Amino acid sequence: MKISYFALLRDATKKSHEVWQRPAATLRDLLRDLAAEYGPNFARWILKDGELAGYAIILVNGQDVRGLQGLDTPLSPDSDVFIFPPLAGG
Amino acid sequence: MHGWTGKILRIDLSTGKIATEALKTDLARDYIGARGLGTKYMYDEVDPTVDPLSPANKLIFASGPMTGTFAPSAGRYDVVTKGPLTGTIAASNSGGAWGPELKYAGYDMLILEGRSPKPVYLWIQDDNVEIRDAAHLWGKDVPETTETLNAETATDAKIACIGPAGENLSFIASIMNDMQRAAGRTGVGAVMGSKNLKAVVVRGTGAVTVADKTAFLAAVSKASTMIKEHPVGGTGLRLYGTNVLVNILNSVGGLPTGNFQDGHFETADKVGGETLAANQLQRPKGCFSCIISCGRATKVKHPKYKGEGEGPEYETAWGFGPDCRIDNLDAVIKANYYCNEYGLDTISMGGTVACAMELFDRGIITLEDTEGLELTFGNADAMVEAVRLAGIGQGFGKKLALGSYRLASLYGHPELSMTVKKQEMPAYDPRAVQGIGLNYATNNRGGCHVRGYTISPEVLGVPVKVDKDSIDGKAELVALFQNLTAALDSSGSCLFATFGIGAPEFAELMTALTGFAYTGDSFIEAGERIWNLERLWNLKAGLTAADDTLPPRLLSEPIVTGPSKGAVSRLPEMLPLYYGVRGWDANGVPTPEKLSALALA
Repeated sequence: MKISYFALLRDATKKSHEVWQRPAATLRDLLRDLAAEYGPNFARWILKDGELAGYAIILVNGQDVRGLQGLDTPLSPDSDVFIFPPLAGG
Repeated sequence: MHGWTGKILRIDLSTGKIATEALKTDLARDYIGARGLGTKYMYDEVDPTVDPLSPANKLIFASGPMTGTFAPSAGRYDVVTKGPLTGTIAASNSGGAWGPELKYAGYDMLILEGRSPKPVYLWIQDDNVEIRDAAHLWGKDVPETTETLNAETATDAKIACIGPAGENLSFIASIMNDMQRAAGRTGVGAVMGSKNLKAVVVRGTGAVTVADKTAFLAAVSKASTMIKEHPVGGTGLRLYGTNVLVNILNSVGGLPTGNFQDGHFETADKVGGETLAANQLQRPKGCFSCIISCGRATKVKHPKYKGEGEGPEYETAWGFGPDCRIDNLDAVIKANYYCNEYGLDTISMGGTVACAMELFDRGIITLEDTEGLELTFGNADAMVEAVRLAGIGQGFGKKLALGSYRLASLYGHPELSMTVKKQEMPAYDPRAVQGIGLNYATNNRGGCHVRGYTISPEVLGVPVKVDKDSIDGKAELVALFQNLTAALDSSGSCLFATFGIGAPEFAELMTALTGFAYTGDSFIEAGERIWNLERLWNLKAGLTAADDTLPPRLLSEPIVTGPSKGAVSRLPEMLPLYYGVRGWDANGVPTPEKLSALALA
């Protein structure tokens, strides 16, 4: 699947996007593996006590997972995942 | 009085009469200050049918009670007048350090009347107020005006001025203060130009007093901590500025593209906040008393677009970028610099260039009309030149300076102007985010995002996530956000403080500062009072429910590509619900019961 990173997450991953080859049935599986790969500078913006950090914005195929099934949102090899740390603007 | 200085400075530019008067305590409590108080004075003193550019219109610079205190991110002021772009009551809000300086000089508000027979500027040093000749400044841009005035008054005086666009009565002219900050929207710069007023220079040596110092200190400390510790308010805005939204809105399919023909721009990342931070950003910059510092001090090295200044904000990067199908950030920033230097609103300017590009693209205007400007979508050089020409009022720029509604109407196609109440909409597509479309349609100053920023819950998930595609609960959400924003604008606070604190904290600050007992509910109710007063003004000015709408494109032409493909705005379903929530009748007129409840009857 394709993963795109934004803002501070690019500092943690040193990239803006990548093609992720490891299997991940759900967002929970994917974030667990990404946290292991990129360490606390990645994980601290996204996960809190094993759950989604409240203000992180994660989109699967353009849909915010907070309106889907959260960490249980199913993924497929074709999924397009966007991950933003908590951000604001106006 | 505490918080408020208790004094208003009133100047008749026609006669040169300078006077001061006491601020009415009950009005201060009920309308708070800045936007609300300025609107109340306009409502009581000016006929809403007035020609905005006539001497009978008034121009009010108004600070809020929190302006000039050390409350976090609360150093703002409003310019209140009848806006020439929209014909509505206008309040354009700006940061920087000018508002606090007005307070230190001893004034909550500056009310300007009439029209000077010749170009002048005001030099306000505490009680010493002079009307000075400005013949040598007329025609100068904002940086040169500011530097000249600092040299001939005081180096640390704070300056609000117009550039050539305001002098030329451009309907999208801004008033610039502290060189780089803008009271941008609704064409307030043209009102200043119509009064032959080039600048207001202020130096104050006084202070703002506080009713309960201990309680205020505690409230400030609490609010500051909440903003700093909030994941949204405390980190991202300082690092990336507001322009970080480019990628977020694009990712959800809500980034208006090509004059709102689409909601997704393939190369948006090239003009986003991350790209800006990696390349042109020199340092973050904050306004007076700000602990967020979302401002961007930037530098462009590209020979064609080189320069130094501030910006872009998200709206600006979008307007000169994706809305014109341009992904050259250096060019976008150059257009931003021109707007700052000539005194133009970047949102309206960007939207107007995008509209011109669609007119050109469709063959409605030609190279003959544009005097050689090849305004094809994606042409960065032409976009930058168009902005420059609008700023100085030359060539095709004279027509661009009218704003997109009047431009498109000149060529028989007003439907291609992406405006509400003739003001260009900002950078969120109402087809992809339902609530923001309702806010645009009902906004008292036309296409405006900041007065009902439902993007926060609908996209960012702050304070809670709501479904952006649903219309359920949006009438209530929009009304609440509009009311809260009206109150906090009037307090002198920055909207971005709401990324850490809410109505209860604003009420604590206001109570400790002023000595009047505000609660979260009464603070929001003051905002509702202000919103309804603005509505009453607009109705008296001749606007009707028919003006509470969106461009037809957004109601009938689905988004073409991206995650929101197929979406249209469901405004017609939401609008009657909104009127109901507001306590207005089916024609959008506040009922006697509602006005009575708000002490507006």
